[in-house]
Amino acid sequence: MKTKDVVIGITTAILLLVIAIAIILGGTGWTPLTEIRLLAKFYLENCFNLFDKNYWAASPEAVSAMLWDYRGIDTYYETAVFFLAVISGVALFRIAEVKVGAISSMRRELGLSIIVKTVTRIAFPLIITVSASVALHGHLTPGGGFQSGSMMAVAFLTAIAAFSRYFIEENLKLTKDNFLTLRSVGLITIAILALAPILAGSIALMQNQAKPWSSTPSFPEALGILWTAGSIFYYNLAEFLTVGAGFTLLFLLISIPEEEFRRILRL
Amino acid sequence: MSLFAASLITFTLTIGALFTYLAIKSRDLLKATIFSAAQSATYALIFFLLMAPDIVLAYIAVAIGIYTVILLYIISKTERYEEVES
Amino acid sequence: MNFEIFLQLYGYLALMVIMVISLYGIVRGASLIKKLIALTIFGDTANALIIFLGFKFGEIYPPVLPTLKPTLEDIAWFVSTAVDPVPQCLVITAVVINMAITMFLAFLVIQIYRLYGTTMVKKIAKLKG
Repeated sequence: MKTKDVVIGITTAILLLVIAIAIILGGTGWTPLTEIRLLAKFYLENCFNLFDKNYWAASPEAVSAMLWDYRGIDTYYETAVFFLAVISGVALFRIAEVKVGAISSMRRELGLSIIVKTVTRIAFPLIITVSASVALHGHLTPGGGFQSGSMMAVAFLTAIAAFSRYFIEENLKLTKDNFLTLRSVGLITIAILALAPILAGSIALMQNQAKPWSSTPSFPEALGILWTAGSIFYYNLAEFLTVGAGFTLLFLLISIPEEEFRRILRL
Repeated sequence: MSLFAASLITFTLTIGALFTYLAIKSRDLLKATIFSAAQSATYALIFFLLMAPDIVLAYIAVAIGIYTVILLYIISKTERYEEVES
Repeated sequence: MNFEIFLQLYGYLALMVIMVISLYGIVRGASLIKKLIALTIFGDTANALIIFLGFKFGEIYPPVLPTLKPTLEDIAWFVSTAVDPVPQCLVITAVVINMAITMFLAFLVIQIYRLYGTTMVKKIAKLKG
């Protein structure tokens, strides 16, 4: 046991030393102190350049513009990874069939104390509102689909923790399948928006604003007075649904009492 | 970038390293979860000071809210104490 | 030594220390839950390191243009003051996807506990079948 600890300590120290040497020798690439890299300069210059619309993304927020336009395929595949993680979680817990009626009679005793319940009752709609606001302004201010989806999941998580999961299923009438449907609607919207330029004859997947070599028109950058930044607004909304409903689905599954599973698995 | 913000970043990073050490060392998994959440809070402050508001919005919800509650669910469903290896 | 270089070196050093500590937790953790906690810290540290690479000093603002009718001067000001948005774009998906993967691992840990009655790695390794 003693020698094992010594070996682990020496290995950790060597690892730290190797990483430190790699960074001192320039393993992180060119890290300038007071300026930014050329690629970042290109994105910052072009993301909302009204005077040279050849490469613009119609969004004043550089991060959203890159997320859904310049580096859109990256985000597209990340969404695919998210889809796979949620689906495998659902597949692991697929045997769960919770009898609602049996527990419905003692629902008042479920959950935390009345102070927590009152506070949650006030905070729950507020968090939902903030998350929707972050999603709807994602192309103008910091925020977007991923952030607002996580916020919505936190709102449902507080509700599940304070009231128990039967509050969501009975009072809000939202079951596991509803969330699965919402998530699928979001994913299908993202896929349609991404494939629409290709179906229209373009060569670029997820084209937002038309580039000089493009043969198809760009998404309209505003609907009336509502600035939508091309397709970024719709992508943010769809990602909001996908992430929020996907996480809430997993919370609903993880909060099923363990006795249900023991009964089904006969352990 | 003022001197105050820079010193705040160094201070917060040190606190984060301390909380990481406590989280890894603690045998009580509940305490480890709380230390991990505190470490996430220091990271959220660092992201804010490094001018990344997008990441702060996602990170606070994910790392302080969801991670903590998920780990608490796991602990309540499985076991709380880590056994000392012999 | 001016404080910019000090901050950069100190930031790298502290993040590396956190990374190595959490790596130790992933390798040597006795329980699967402890390994999961260490894994989340490791992923967050990697994200923080990427953000740190995109940071610059001087007069800085977030990469968000504050107006919808910018002039050329506004855009020049934006380019000269905003921090690097590329690492932020890479990290924003990584945070959420890490979360999804962690949830999946949490489901796996619970399922392992249901089937084998323990989350200790050594005990699971000793089980037959």
